[in-house]
Amino acid sequence: MMTHDIEVAGERLTLHAQRAIHWAARRTLLVSDVHFGKGAVFRRAGIAVPSGDTEDDLARLDALIAEFAPERLVVLGDLVHGAATERSGWVEKVRAWRESHTDVAMDLIAGNHDRHFDAAALGVDVRPDRVLAPPFVFAHHPSPHADGYTLAGHVHPGVTVRDGWRRHRLPAFVFDREVAMLPAFGTLTGLHEFMLEPGRRIVAATPAGLVPLRQRGRV
Amino acid sequence: MPTSSTTSAAWRRAEARLLAWFAAQERRAAPFQRAAWRAWHEGHNGLIHAPTGTGKTLAAAGGPLIDAVLRPRTGLQLLWITPLRSLATDTAQHLASAVEAMELPWRVLRRTGDSGSAERARLRRGACELLVTTPESLALLLSYPDAKERFANLRGIVVDEWHELVGNKRGTLLQLGLTRLRHWLPGLRTWGLSATLGNLDEALRALAHDGVLIGARSKKKTIVESALPESGERFPWAGHLGLSQLPRVLDAVLKARSSLVFANTRSQAELWHEALSSVWPESPDTLALHHGSIDPKLRFAAEEGLRVGALRCVVATSSLDLGVDFASVERVIQVGSPKSIARLLQRAGRSGHRPGAPSRILCVPTHLLELAEIAAARHALETGHLEPRRPMRGCLDVLAQHLLTMALGGGFTADDAYAEITSSLAYANLPRERFDAVLAYLRTGGSALASYPEYQKLVETHGRFHVESGRIARMHRLSIGTITSDGSLHVRYMKGARLGTVEESFLSRLRPGDRFLFAGRNLELVRVRDMTAYVRAAPNRRGGVPRWMGGRLPLSGELSDELREALAGGIPASAEMRALGALLDVQSRQSSIPRVDETLCERTRTREGDYLFVFPFAGRLAHEGLAAVLAYRMARIQPGDYGYAVNDYGLTLTAARMPPLDEETMRGLLHPWGLRADIRASINLSELARRQFREIARVAGLVFNGYPSHGKTLRQLQASSGLLFDVLRRHDPAHPLLWQAEREVLDQQLDYSRLRACLLRVSRSRLLWRETKRLSPLAFPLWVERLRGGIAGDDWKTRVERMLATLEAGADA
Repeated sequence: MMTHDIEVAGERLTLHAQRAIHWAARRTLLVSDVHFGKGAVFRRAGIAVPSGDTEDDLARLDALIAEFAPERLVVLGDLVHGAATERSGWVEKVRAWRESHTDVAMDLIAGNHDRHFDAAALGVDVRPDRVLAPPFVFAHHPSPHADGYTLAGHVHPGVTVRDGWRRHRLPAFVFDREVAMLPAFGTLTGLHEFMLEPGRRIVAATPAGLVPLRQRGRV
Repeated sequence: MPTSSTTSAAWRRAEARLLAWFAAQERRAAPFQRAAWRAWHEGHNGLIHAPTGTGKTLAAAGGPLIDAVLRPRTGLQLLWITPLRSLATDTAQHLASAVEAMELPWRVLRRTGDSGSAERARLRRGACELLVTTPESLALLLSYPDAKERFANLRGIVVDEWHELVGNKRGTLLQLGLTRLRHWLPGLRTWGLSATLGNLDEALRALAHDGVLIGARSKKKTIVESALPESGERFPWAGHLGLSQLPRVLDAVLKARSSLVFANTRSQAELWHEALSSVWPESPDTLALHHGSIDPKLRFAAEEGLRVGALRCVVATSSLDLGVDFASVERVIQVGSPKSIARLLQRAGRSGHRPGAPSRILCVPTHLLELAEIAAARHALETGHLEPRRPMRGCLDVLAQHLLTMALGGGFTADDAYAEITSSLAYANLPRERFDAVLAYLRTGGSALASYPEYQKLVETHGRFHVESGRIARMHRLSIGTITSDGSLHVRYMKGARLGTVEESFLSRLRPGDRFLFAGRNLELVRVRDMTAYVRAAPNRRGGVPRWMGGRLPLSGELSDELREALAGGIPASAEMRALGALLDVQSRQSSIPRVDETLCERTRTREGDYLFVFPFAGRLAHEGLAAVLAYRMARIQPGDYGYAVNDYGLTLTAARMPPLDEETMRGLLHPWGLRADIRASINLSELARRQFREIARVAGLVFNGYPSHGKTLRQLQASSGLLFDVLRRHDPAHPLLWQAEREVLDQQLDYSRLRACLLRVSRSRLLWRETKRLSPLAFPLWVERLRGGIAGDDWKTRVERMLATLEAGADA
């Protein structure tokens, strides 16, 4: 099962195993923490990461857009990882990709990493802080808001799932009472581990499907 | 290089000065010490092997000191490499007094990872003649552009405790450093000091190509005793904690002025320390805990307490196997089998430092069969049958690190570097393509197949490789060395005192308020921030004990050979084997005791399950691989999900439906033919390699941990090695470091060569096929091990289906 529907704040959201949420009622696709250009930042510092991460991430976004045909793509912060230089090939790739989707509006809620780079140059509308989309608030930092249920990123949530004697550390969607956290969309991103607790729902994302978790210690 | 085989009168006069110093302390130079001095004078390299406390340091130092009296020079003349920082201080003091005795105007300095900046500055000004340092600090010195001039007056190098380095990557790194120095200074002498090993010749070749082996004849006896069960005492057939033996251990500890209790894992040490604390009749300050994850300051305090005699007992792991001698230690207690003969000898040697006193070790078995291991180890010691420590070969991650060091320390051309590196034993068989692949990784990032824009670690100008970026140089120097911790978090009190490190995988399962046992204290997790777990003292323990990776060591090949002999009645009678008599009777009644040329297989069908047991006695790592291969081969006869468990003696396999099994089928299943292919098919090598990649990525400079002093500026450069592994596999599958990871999985995690040797032996041996009604004493410990999963498909699709199936089962419950 690549998708899993979940009800939040009275709305139906479709979670996708490629670490995105589709809000069908508003035809809005949500992703978070894409970190474009992270590989380039590493390579400049002498850490050998092959290029290809940007293409992969763009291809995954293409597939999601093809599947849901959204009117609007909202990035919940950290679209880019660091400043670009003249040698950064990823900027051109992302710009070209943006131009191939002129029918989709794209908003970025500026995250802490986005201050190094002007995303407007990519043809993306940059919104500071947060955007109201009742009953939701789109934000980068996962703090509760009085105006609605917060959908946020920033923390790169993950969870450890037991599979017989194995354990898998997987990116995950975490739904708390007032805030939900999306897994990082980018390929080169780490995890911050969460545990199941009362009032919390966790859905783990694997390359082959979603795994909703219920009680602690079991899948 | 002087080559005269006889010593001149001047040399003898200089030697007399040293001999007079010995005499002044009412000692006499031992023949092996004088032999080493002469061999040094004659220009030889060498390896001195002798037990601790026999005067190896002076055996190695005498030669260069006498030489220095004969032919004075200025500048750095002797490099003394020690594997432990904590040893450096003691060694430096010891050497300084010998230097003084020879009336040499030498300054003795030490430089280790924790040297102060004043010491480092003095060193940079070249202000010492004798330098005591670690392999990592030597690598660091080699990374400065003036490295060659700095070492220009060096007479020789002495490597202390070479046995601790020869078998690991630190030893590989040191081999490369030595090769570098010898390349600059062809007359340089290299000497090593080592405990006794099963492969001293090879250890010498790894250190210095050729040279002389000099051994001290040791009159020191080692006495191995066991805590034997009283007649009629119910002693467990399985287990690995042995806490039921607490009264015996306490009794032994209280009888001695000061004792060391060795446990095999850090978790076991924590639990034993807790257990001893709970019954400790004296001041709690006289009992301490020592293991590798505890903060250096606390460890140092425990060592200091032992040295001055303030501690009655220290519970330790291999962290105290080597290091400073503790003259006051009277008793050494080993909890559980030592798993290796050399380790038993080394640990026993921590006691009885008074001249003429024997080394004594009391072994406390955690289950009954360990008595046989103890008897076997004693017999092996008596017959001088010790394990070898094989040097690692062709590690590409260490090579990558060293090439960058060479580039910083003056630069190199590819041909020269290849010639120099392949002159070391560690890289003697390194194919040129592989060397070129590592060079390509440093220049362009990876193999020619993938693209790495912006990446340039090494720059080539007119055929010479060097580093241009100051940032890359800085980062390399910060991360030099092969042993650093990764994926571990610091543990400290809210008030600030550091306690040590635990692995992230353990802490990630804890939530604030949860309690755990660590560094001998009950702690409560307050919060985790900036790679640090803040804790406060907890009144008691409800939670667990951290488990560190790489906990349990496998039974060594030499000890398992001896063990098979012992079980088959092939070694002289001993109290241990007599105590085991009843158990072995049960084993031979219900099944059989295999002779040395036999392999025992048992099949036990009970109401509860259908189990196959195989006992190759090849150590848990090799059994791990064999279990997967057997499951795979059995699944070809009868498809299904096979569960398995292993220990050092054998393995068990079970399935809901087992294939029909008899002696003939068993023979086919255990055939060595096609082993490598079956391993690949049965084990998810890439999953194992992904874990192994952590260390490789760190050593090769692919991940950068950042340093506390650099705060968060490097935070954005942190990526987990697992992610890098995935990206490399996808975009650059020919990357040399991926190759290295898979090789290490086969060599180290699965002990492939031992597995293969084991199957060859099994195929030549007689197979004992026994169908038993009840679990035999050999089978029982395997049966109680937690069964682990089988080998059914392991792609993500299968995993998700499996997880979802379990989910539904869980929801019903």
